[in-house]
Amino acid sequence: MATATANRPKQNLTVDQKLQVLRELYADAPEIGKAALKNGLTTLTEELAAPGRAQTAGRIGARQGKVSELTVFLPFVKGGAKRLRGLLELLEGNFRAADAVGTVHDMRFVFVDNDTKLLFATAYDGDFDPYIEDFASKIPNAMDLWLCNFEGYPGMRNAKAAADWIANHQIAAEAWYVNSPNLTAPETRRLEKVGKAVEGLLDQIG
Amino acid sequence: MSLVKETIINDPSAQAPMLDLHEIQATVLRIRPAPYFGVHVILSVDDARAGREAIRRLTPYIDSAKGWRIAANAWLGVGISYTGLQALGVPRESLESFPEAFRVGMAARASQLRDEGVNDPKNWDPPFGTGQVHIGVTAFSDSEEKKRRALAIAREQYEGLSGVRVLFMQDFGAQPGDLNPLGYKDGIDQPAIEGSGDEPLPGQGPRIKAGEFILGYPGEAGVPLPMPQPDVLGRNGTFVGLRKYQSRVGAFNRFLRAHGSTEEERELLAAKLVGRWRSGAPLTLAPDVDDPALGADPRRNNDFDYANDRQGRKAPFGCHIRRMNPRDTELTRLTDVNIHRLIRRGTTYGPPYDPNALSEEADETPRGAYFLFISSKAMATMEFLQQEWIQDGDFIGAGDERDPIIGRQEEGATFTIPREPVRRRVHGIETFNVLRGGEYFFMPSLSALKWIGDLTETNSIGPKER
Repeated sequence: MATATANRPKQNLTVDQKLQVLRELYADAPEIGKAALKNGLTTLTEELAAPGRAQTAGRIGARQGKVSELTVFLPFVKGGAKRLRGLLELLEGNFRAADAVGTVHDMRFVFVDNDTKLLFATAYDGDFDPYIEDFASKIPNAMDLWLCNFEGYPGMRNAKAAADWIANHQIAAEAWYVNSPNLTAPETRRLEKVGKAVEGLLDQIG
Repeated sequence: MSLVKETIINDPSAQAPMLDLHEIQATVLRIRPAPYFGVHVILSVDDARAGREAIRRLTPYIDSAKGWRIAANAWLGVGISYTGLQALGVPRESLESFPEAFRVGMAARASQLRDEGVNDPKNWDPPFGTGQVHIGVTAFSDSEEKKRRALAIAREQYEGLSGVRVLFMQDFGAQPGDLNPLGYKDGIDQPAIEGSGDEPLPGQGPRIKAGEFILGYPGEAGVPLPMPQPDVLGRNGTFVGLRKYQSRVGAFNRFLRAHGSTEEERELLAAKLVGRWRSGAPLTLAPDVDDPALGADPRRNNDFDYANDRQGRKAPFGCHIRRMNPRDTELTRLTDVNIHRLIRRGTTYGPPYDPNALSEEADETPRGAYFLFISSKAMATMEFLQQEWIQDGDFIGAGDERDPIIGRQEEGATFTIPREPVRRRVHGIETFNVLRGGEYFFMPSLSALKWIGDLTETNSIGPKER
């Protein structure tokens, strides 16, 4: 349900009720927090009065506008951390497959818990489920090359199982903020081009 | 991860499977005749035994795809919905082997299909979306007379069975020039299927693996798609999505008049929306003026790609045919266009297109099309198409714009026509085709129909309400 809001239970509260909940939550907060609640009340009241922007993405995860988040904790197989770290170092920040996918805004690879797990977090447009078969058909090797380093990964040629495997490792973000929620990655690239063209035109006129 | 262009190594010893044409229903592979005449009949089953009796009697008259090039005779096809399979007493373990989207039905998938607002199932015409649509029988023919005879044969098999009701009948076809309700020649571009024995028409593209369209054969990924069980039920079957559209001919004509002051301007705009002139001639090959001879020639009217139209100045990126088959268009998202294709069987109903119909009453004249979308994964493909290629434009660089012909439009919708020196943006696009019904059917093989007809009470669970 792409349009469902994430924080349903709090959706129907009035601003006063929300403030009351916050006061209760912060009753035992450190002094800094209590002071912040009191001093920041004006801004906070405006924020709480604004219509909610939080939505859910696909099967699991949060979305704002057109941009979704995907956060996974993936357990490494033996030697997996070493291989992936080596691969990432050699790529030196070039991710051609992500460029090809077209909808990926960013990706971060964080090795945690003594190199036993990877925290992978990305922002992308829409849902990934509808395109999983396209990944399997177009970039199976690029996907398998890095995901083979994790426990239980079924391989991209088994697209449905791979999608399930990702969803099973996914942790929905509690909150998600997107600065330009209506700008997809392709739209951003298009606007970059349009912007350049307009500047060029203005240069000629001026 | 640095490798973008990838190839899956194909086993050179693997031969293209020859299809069991004698098992596959004719409707899957047989091309709509021209002119065409037909009728859709919807049956509801109140008694499992009577329902199976109807299936058993109908089965010998259901045509296979064998000898399918000869479209000179009438043929009958049959599809069964999930509630229909339940009502016929198909065993629980079989029922559970069907895909989720098929089991809950098209109406329940409205949010995934973006069937909202005017297209919401609550606005559909009966009997669609009620759970009462169990069996669909369709007669196709090249003449009214043969259609009548085919229908009479079908009726003899189910009429008089207590426990089987006719919910609905709809004649289709018989349009002058076989034009669709908005006045276009349609149904031109169909996927070429490997192993079907047909010679692809120029421009049809590479043959697509049969498993994408018929269950039991390898698909584009090299393996068969998931199949309902047991094997005899699933193999050589396929899924059909039926969509009933009401064409708002008045709104369409008003739009053309508001944005074109001469007949020529209006016809060019009409062509830009679709990507073809009404004659079927593609803008890519006839960008400035219509070429009816080109439109009428099946060996030429689809023989193009977009290599020489990278800017969309001939066929706009957002036009209907470029969305539904982007061919070699550079898309913004990684896409394998071969895995999102459907076999389409458009069946037009109501009075023919009237270019002078301008009133709001004309919008509600019963006139439109029942589309049959056929594929081994029709449900997933239709959801993909609705979400990505019809109700959105980002994939082809058209931002929020939607398909100008079958999209559901919001207030203030636009359509962009790339042009030198500056693009033209047309405002006032409305929903020209409103969804008024839809159902998913399973189209079983002839052996599967026999299997269903021969089910006994011991292995069936009897009729069940949804």
